[in-house]
Amino acid sequence: MSTMIPTMRHVRGFDLARPLSIGMLVFMMLPLVFLPLLSIFIFGTSKGLSSFWSALTAADAIFALKLSMVTSFWATVFNVLFGLFAAYVLSRHNFWGRNALIVTISLPTAIPTAVAGVALLMLWGPYGMLGRLLRPQGIEVMFTASAIVLANIFVTFPLAFGVIKPVFDTMSRSLEEASATIGATRWQTFWHVTLPSLRGAIVSGALLTFARAIGEFGSTIMVSGNLAGRTQTAPLYIFAKFNEGQIEAANAIAIVLALFSFLIFSVLFFARDWLDVD
Amino acid sequence: MSIEVPIVKAQRARLIEDSHATPVRQSAPAYAASIQGVSKHFGKASVLENITFHVAEGEALVLLGASGSGKTTILRIIAGLEQPYTGKIILHNKDVTELPARERGVGVIFQSYALFPRMTVEKNIGYGLRIRHRGRKEVKKTVNELLELVQLQEHRKKYPSQLSGGQQQRVAIARTLAYKPEVLLFDEPFGALDAQTRSHLRREIRALLKKVNVPAIFITHDQEEALELGDRIAVINSGHIEQIGTPAEVYNNPASEYVATFLGAANILEGAIRGDRVEIGSALIPALSDAERFREGEPVKIIFRPEDVALSKTQFPSGRACISVGIVEETSFVGAYERLRIRLEPAGCATETGETPFYLTTETPESQSAKPIIATRPKPETLAVKLSRGDRVFVGLNFFTILPKSTRTR
Repeated sequence: MSTMIPTMRHVRGFDLARPLSIGMLVFMMLPLVFLPLLSIFIFGTSKGLSSFWSALTAADAIFALKLSMVTSFWATVFNVLFGLFAAYVLSRHNFWGRNALIVTISLPTAIPTAVAGVALLMLWGPYGMLGRLLRPQGIEVMFTASAIVLANIFVTFPLAFGVIKPVFDTMSRSLEEASATIGATRWQTFWHVTLPSLRGAIVSGALLTFARAIGEFGSTIMVSGNLAGRTQTAPLYIFAKFNEGQIEAANAIAIVLALFSFLIFSVLFFARDWLDVD
Repeated sequence: MSIEVPIVKAQRARLIEDSHATPVRQSAPAYAASIQGVSKHFGKASVLENITFHVAEGEALVLLGASGSGKTTILRIIAGLEQPYTGKIILHNKDVTELPARERGVGVIFQSYALFPRMTVEKNIGYGLRIRHRGRKEVKKTVNELLELVQLQEHRKKYPSQLSGGQQQRVAIARTLAYKPEVLLFDEPFGALDAQTRSHLRREIRALLKKVNVPAIFITHDQEEALELGDRIAVINSGHIEQIGTPAEVYNNPASEYVATFLGAANILEGAIRGDRVEIGSALIPALSDAERFREGEPVKIIFRPEDVALSKTQFPSGRACISVGIVEETSFVGAYERLRIRLEPAGCATETGETPFYLTTETPESQSAKPIIATRPKPETLAVKLSRGDRVFVGLNFFTILPKSTRTR
């Protein structure tokens, strides 16, 4: 009879553990995630949509958003191409120091972003190792949009690689071998056989990189110079406006960024199955 | 322990040369594919030793061997996916040894089929032509012809994952036929399929190959498959060819104990050469063939198939090769025939001198003591003469092969 009881509770009675555990999960997430996010929306629209709209269309705000998009875009392009190349080399060839390279590629996300900023300054800055040599030539890398791209590349370096490499590793070699015996060149094989199998990994790697780059703050603030209308990205704009006490202006951009990342992760979550469908 | 008696090697060499000397079709001036003296090492381990064989136009050759025998490496070397240490690969009179896989024009049907998962059936089949930048019309025409050939017209828009194993295999074959391959290489083509589909597909592929008349090399570890698929079979054992021949040759006249035991069941007795006869214990029976290959008194192995054992309750009429009397230990019904386990008695057929046990099989150390032989009888015979456990029978041989007694390899 004792074995009957658990079954009975599921079939006829009410299993309390289920709603309780679900409720508890939601309740715990409430102050940690839901409420903070909700509050920017509530605050942002509390004075009406028109003030939200004017905060959003301020020249510096639009510039900051654009700059963030553009710099993140180029960082993403670079890191996806690099990740693809690195994954190809590291999963196809075995060589001395291979693991050391893998660790080095993965390192940048583990480094505090402020350290990344300092590191870039020490290299490209006016008194940096390379910057010192470039300055007399009239080339300034730091405190420009290029510096922001460099910082974005640095902090998002391993993300695309990390998504693409496992797919490369598990990909059957016989597909590429089949393509070769059929008569395809290496390039044709890569283009027609390898790349299509990586489609899902490339898209999700790109979205991850972009989402991470567009929110980058710590390294950007050190290398960009944070000049409104010139080198100020969206997160820097939020921080600056908040410091100036213009909370609505900061909040309007915060809403845009929040919605944007929400969008990216929805795509990642729902489109992966579609992208990976065989 | 792995010392080979020289005569085995010499004999093996002779057999291999023999198979070269007699091409399947005399009219064909050249071979479709010719593998000459190919060797390969991985580090210090030798994988292939001096592999030489030829495939005639339109011929199907099966490389039969256990896993790890090196047969897959041979196939990969022919395809250009691996490089041999020594030796040459010649396809239709052209030395392709130095050419990369894509320039060889070889069709490989991989064990997993390796169909491109993101391409439909027709895209897969047309791939070889598209990368050769053939015109759309030509691609379409060829794809249509091939779809018809492999009977997959209604599946043309499907993706490989939507097809059964057999259909995928047909797509893989059509994909290679599209670019008119010099030779088709099948790597364990039926490994991933269930037994029923297998035998069905074997017949299908054989018919298809006869239709397109492309030479094919199959790789398998399945002896039944080898016998059914091959015009000729090459038995591979730890990196060398033990024997090449038609299925009947290899089955009936195995060149080594390995070949005998790998292709079906085989009984092995020991004996010695006495003139044009073989002495098995106290029996002296005429050697069926080539006793002159051996020295007088040379110890030999007598190898025979279960179906070559003749059993009789009474003494054989004179002239039949009776080797012993035996006791039936077990009978079992195996469908088309009956299988018997018979323990041979020390005493021979004719005399009752009670000599010491004369035979021993070489399979296990304990086989020094009397080990049973296996015999099979067809249905009519089982109905005519019923044999059951404990019966005393005369044992004769209708057919047997003599091999030199050698220390076993490995």
